[in-house]
Amino acid sequence: MANVSVAAEWQLLYNRYYRKPELYPLRWKNIDLSRNKVACAPFGGPIAVIRDDSKIVQLYSESALRKLRIFTSSGVLISDTVWKNPGGRLIGMSWTEDQTLICIVQDGTVYRYNIHAELIEPNVTLGKECFEQNVVECVFWGNGVVCLTEGGLLFCIPDFKVMRPCQLAETGAEDLPNCMAVIEPKYTVSGNVEVLVGIGDRILIVDEDGVQTVEGEVVQGLVQKMVVSWDGKFLAIFTHDGRILVTDINFKGVLLEYNCESALPPEQLAWCGLDSVLLYWDDTPLLMVGPRGDPVHYFYDEPLLLIPECDGVRILSNTSLEFLQRVPDSTVSIFKIGSTSPAALLYDALDHFDRRSAKADENLRLIQKSLPEAVEACIDAAGHEFDVSRQRTLLRAASYGQAFCSNFQRDRIQEMCKTLRVLNAVRDPEIGIPLSINQYKLLTPSVLIARLVNAHCHLLALRISEYVGMNQEVVIMHWACSKITASLAIPDAALLEILLDKLKLCRGISYAAVAAHADKNGRRKLAAMLVEHEPRSSKQVPLLLSIGEEDTALMKATESGDTDLVYLVLFHIWQKKQPLEFFGMIQARPLPRDLFISYARCYKHEFLKDFFLSTGQLQEVAFLLWKESWELGKNPMASKGSPLHGPRIKLIDKAQNLFAETKEHTFESKAAEEHAKLLRIQHELEVSTKQAIFVDSSISDTIRTCIVLGNHRAAMKVKTEFKVSEKRWYWLKVFALATTRDWEALEKFSKEKRPPIGYRPFVEACVDADEKGEALKYIPKLADLRERAEAYARIGMAKEAADAASQAKDGELLGRLKLTFQQNAAASSLFDSLRDRLSFQGV
Amino acid sequence: MAQIPNLDNSPLNLKSLREQSQRDLVKILKDIRGKKCLVIEPKLGGTLSLIIQTSLLKEYGIELRHLSAESVQTDCSKVVYLVPSQRDLMKSISSHVHDDISKGLQREYYIYFVPRREIQCERILEEEKVHHLITIGEYPLYVVPLDEDILSFELDLAYKQCQVDGDTGSLWHIAKAIHKLESTFGAIPNVRAKGKASVMVADILDRMHTEEPMNSSDMALSEINTLILIDREASLPFLCTNSYYNLKLCAACLQVDMITPMCSQLTYEGLIDEFLRINNGSVELDSSIMGVQQEGKKMKVPLNSSDKLLKEIRDLNFEVVVQVLKQKATSMKQDYAEITTANQSVSELKDFVKKLNSLPEMTRHINLAQHLSTFTSKPSFLAKLDMEHTIIEASSYDICLEYIEEMIHKQEPLINVLRLLILFSVTNSGLPKKNFDYLRRELLHSYGFEHMATLNNLEKVGWLKKQESKSNWLTVKRALQLIVEDTDTANPNDIAYVFSGYAPLSIRLVHNAVLSGWRPMEEILKLLPGPHTETKRAGFTSSPSFATLQGASNGLDKIADGRRSLVLVVFVGGVTFAEIAALRFLSAREGMAYDLIIGTTKIVSGHSLVETIFERFG
Repeated sequence: MANVSVAAEWQLLYNRYYRKPELYPLRWKNIDLSRNKVACAPFGGPIAVIRDDSKIVQLYSESALRKLRIFTSSGVLISDTVWKNPGGRLIGMSWTEDQTLICIVQDGTVYRYNIHAELIEPNVTLGKECFEQNVVECVFWGNGVVCLTEGGLLFCIPDFKVMRPCQLAETGAEDLPNCMAVIEPKYTVSGNVEVLVGIGDRILIVDEDGVQTVEGEVVQGLVQKMVVSWDGKFLAIFTHDGRILVTDINFKGVLLEYNCESALPPEQLAWCGLDSVLLYWDDTPLLMVGPRGDPVHYFYDEPLLLIPECDGVRILSNTSLEFLQRVPDSTVSIFKIGSTSPAALLYDALDHFDRRSAKADENLRLIQKSLPEAVEACIDAAGHEFDVSRQRTLLRAASYGQAFCSNFQRDRIQEMCKTLRVLNAVRDPEIGIPLSINQYKLLTPSVLIARLVNAHCHLLALRISEYVGMNQEVVIMHWACSKITASLAIPDAALLEILLDKLKLCRGISYAAVAAHADKNGRRKLAAMLVEHEPRSSKQVPLLLSIGEEDTALMKATESGDTDLVYLVLFHIWQKKQPLEFFGMIQARPLPRDLFISYARCYKHEFLKDFFLSTGQLQEVAFLLWKESWELGKNPMASKGSPLHGPRIKLIDKAQNLFAETKEHTFESKAAEEHAKLLRIQHELEVSTKQAIFVDSSISDTIRTCIVLGNHRAAMKVKTEFKVSEKRWYWLKVFALATTRDWEALEKFSKEKRPPIGYRPFVEACVDADEKGEALKYIPKLADLRERAEAYARIGMAKEAADAASQAKDGELLGRLKLTFQQNAAASSLFDSLRDRLSFQGV
Repeated sequence: MAQIPNLDNSPLNLKSLREQSQRDLVKILKDIRGKKCLVIEPKLGGTLSLIIQTSLLKEYGIELRHLSAESVQTDCSKVVYLVPSQRDLMKSISSHVHDDISKGLQREYYIYFVPRREIQCERILEEEKVHHLITIGEYPLYVVPLDEDILSFELDLAYKQCQVDGDTGSLWHIAKAIHKLESTFGAIPNVRAKGKASVMVADILDRMHTEEPMNSSDMALSEINTLILIDREASLPFLCTNSYYNLKLCAACLQVDMITPMCSQLTYEGLIDEFLRINNGSVELDSSIMGVQQEGKKMKVPLNSSDKLLKEIRDLNFEVVVQVLKQKATSMKQDYAEITTANQSVSELKDFVKKLNSLPEMTRHINLAQHLSTFTSKPSFLAKLDMEHTIIEASSYDICLEYIEEMIHKQEPLINVLRLLILFSVTNSGLPKKNFDYLRRELLHSYGFEHMATLNNLEKVGWLKKQESKSNWLTVKRALQLIVEDTDTANPNDIAYVFSGYAPLSIRLVHNAVLSGWRPMEEILKLLPGPHTETKRAGFTSSPSFATLQGASNGLDKIADGRRSLVLVVFVGGVTFAEIAALRFLSAREGMAYDLIIGTTKIVSGHSLVETIFERFG
């Protein structure tokens, strides 16, 4: 059968098959792993190579200066740079999750490089102790590092994004540890990093707060090497007597034990997925140990580097990169020699079908019931393949089987094709990211795209994000910024064209962010041109301000209708410019001007006056002064009757003069004049009556107060002084007399002369005061019959009211009066009869 | 009964809106660890009572205080201010901080601005040198559901700020609020606006759409079919503040509708607001009025649609309300009599008990109505109503003038005088210079010169001004049939019942806009101030909902799933209860194929509108 060749490459360990397809023959030349320090990023990331300065090596035709080189996983050089950093020997080198290369040197300085071998400033130091004691060992995990000093102290950077070093608790032991392993913060109970330290024949657990000794029988004696599995649940230990042990992380129970018969610890110890452990000594074959059964040996004649991944180990040698993984179950079921699983039969059926053999149908009939699972297995197996032609065959088998399945989720094949297309694209040796499908799922597409963008594979990133239906904004934005940085020689207009052409691909992209980047790169003009295209004013305006385009900023802010933005610009200009220039800028723009006035009215009175004066709005200044005069009055120092009235009146006078400057404000001018006069009179009144009750009351109130106090002459004086009309005078006096209940004076007043507004005020005053008798004096004098009727009604005289109403011949009024007297049956019938008579007359 | 309205029957899922606001607030409070003192600006506190129960807040370890000039007395080391972004509040807060510093108290300060932080406020904090001591955050509360068909943007001062100060921040706020609604309920395909401020809101809304484009899938989901923006803030004052030249240009126009809110509302809810003031959906009363014998104690009566009886009578003319209540009481009495005499089956008993459940509601409203009638039966009230109608009918100028003059002479409450005066001035498109100056002088003499500022504001907004051209009120009145003779308040057939004979102009406009858009009434719209616009959003031109709208003018609605389409009517500058009543009346009428939701900057009355314009020198 055709499948035999596939399974022939597998090794059996205990009951599991392993395979190690070659991912790439490496394209680099003359790289010898044994001469170099090498850091490989997981998830098929880049490889950093630098000559190892802890080893004595022979220099061939190369510079004595060391070079840091960064390759893709396929060995294509991405970038290089000369290593000139001070601080002593390079101790540790590793990639972070966001693909920054961390290099830690002896004195505790941390250098960071991006994938383009550019140093990321600033450098961070691990602290004074590290500087004094020297770093001897570093243990990295995805996003942090633990360093050991010669003095046995442990330092930690828990998060490379924050870069804040901290010291862990001191172990108190005299010797340096034999080995260390780190449990990542995300797997510990406390949420802080924990370090397993093998010192002497003990294992300690060290974290920020303290040290614990591991109790238990499992591990006894000295430990030479430890590695934690990638899910943080298991620990592989190489003991002093040459045994390899696997326990769970709490040292409970031994899951694997194998005697390697080597007193020396392996140089590299790595987990292969979660199923087996790899041990590497540089002079013996690579050893793979599983839970049971005989270990597997792999023979190499080159130095190796083991790169643990979540589902296997990548094996890097000088010439090739391989991926050692446990063969997935679906693949086993298809390709295992002699397999009769439905999936294997389906695969076989396709083979027959291709050869036009009728056995295809026979196979299908055999597996009719389990066809869906066979299809599923083929799809799954295709996903795990690195070989494109085999992917294709498996998918064809799946598709062939699917045609005979009625109830299969049809988009599964399509989905897998999509995923595989992405994977194959990034696995291309030029790109060099050999992700397995499991790694891809763990990494997520968005991180993959970020990595591609970071490596300046913008086009591929754009295509992938389009293909998997993700927002392309990240890609285009990064491209635009990189383009600006890289195109110093292209003139602004041309570059703008190039940028706009791509930026328009993505709706809602932030032009302002690109413009800000241009500005940072010293291309202010380009920034100004770019920001013009930003639709979001809230992003556009601040940037315009920062590149000094105040006028445009003010215009755009006003257009947006967002007052907060206008204020932003206003305050900016206000601070930066001379007052007159500032006034000039806002004067012709209604919204900014009004906002300024409204703000200044509350907090910058004097400045506002300057503004009005400079723009010739004298009446506004006058209003401000007038308002100030009141504030003087409210001042607690200005107790009534004190000379402080002087300044108040002066302010009002000033206001009056300003009003008088313009023709349109004669009314205001007159009012201000009267106000000043009133204050003077009120002041005099307070002095003469020795009662502080006049100032700040109105003219009418002043008159009433005078009358209530019995000071009729003063009241008269105020009346003539302000030319109070007779009408108003009568209302005021009548009400004032009624307040004092001086009915006699009221009657006298009514007889002085015929009141200009009739006797209604008198009636109202009496009725309101509930003086029926007094009211009756005036009601008959009311000229209007309707008024008379209602007045009678108000004091409850139904009969008189009815008479008056019938005289007025007002049926509607009668009806209303009837309602008023509803309770009174006699009165009510009276109104009815009167109304009947009225309507009869009407007919 | 809770003050938080029950929103179950709303045509939109307003409940989710409110729950979001609740969650936002709780999150803010939870994120500040430990015990804290929450200082709320009193008005905002009222608004929040529509969102969340204060007792709930206390669960998060909170001491509750109201913001005032006095410093905060608390043992908590964390003080959280929850305030609207208003400049004047910043001074109090900074003085609190200074006060604490001088006492040597060390506290952590937080300010959460509602709905967003603003630079002008932070600037004042900077000038007071406290900005660095304070952590600043936002509580994005743009919309509050007042009832199942009313949304409020809670902008008390919108009108004044816009018209007097030229500060159009509130317009941005409204646009933002509508935009937020759209992000929940889908983009609104049709937008119609009348009046300068409304058109500005529509413009800003358009800008927001270009700035943050919505997915086309969202567009398809639009639950709200049409947005109508109507404007109290007429264009007139806008231009006035700019220059005299502009004033002349548009003096001929009326404000879109300043008339309606100046008239006394005659619906039940409207009257309650006029006399007793409704705040955040409840009215505060002496408990003695409600028949609870506790001397001098105030009690809050919630007014929202959770109250079944209120829902029935709130929009009726008050005359009718009294009769309805009487009827109900009588029928209940009858039922009671029957139950005591005859033998009843169990199911009949059950029915009776069910009816009994409505008894507390009955007593509540009978008490309220009784209290109201003490106001409405006063001759002065009737005289005022008479005068309002005389002014609206514009029949006799001199009688009105004399009446107002007399009110001033008698020194009646200034707001009452101004309401009539504004009505008078607006219908006449200003007063002749002689009368204008005379009345202003009499006002200053009677009420004091400090009211110069108020008069100045009134002139700025165009409510009280010099006549410069002939009024076109009569034309408008006739064209829109604003005066309806013989309105039957008990069985109304026109919205005019809410003012016993006057149909609110604003609602006539809305009615036409809903039915047929602006086009058929271009001529009339030109008589009213401010531009009008009508937009159909891109991507909708061929959508079925548009076709429905066209078809709807025939009184038919063809939305497939049987739902009625929804119109959001936004009143920029506030709406009165009477207008709401009129709108509800419209939407309940036969042949009306729309549900209406009302959005407003605030529920106003003539009283509260005039109050915002008030500004004394002192």
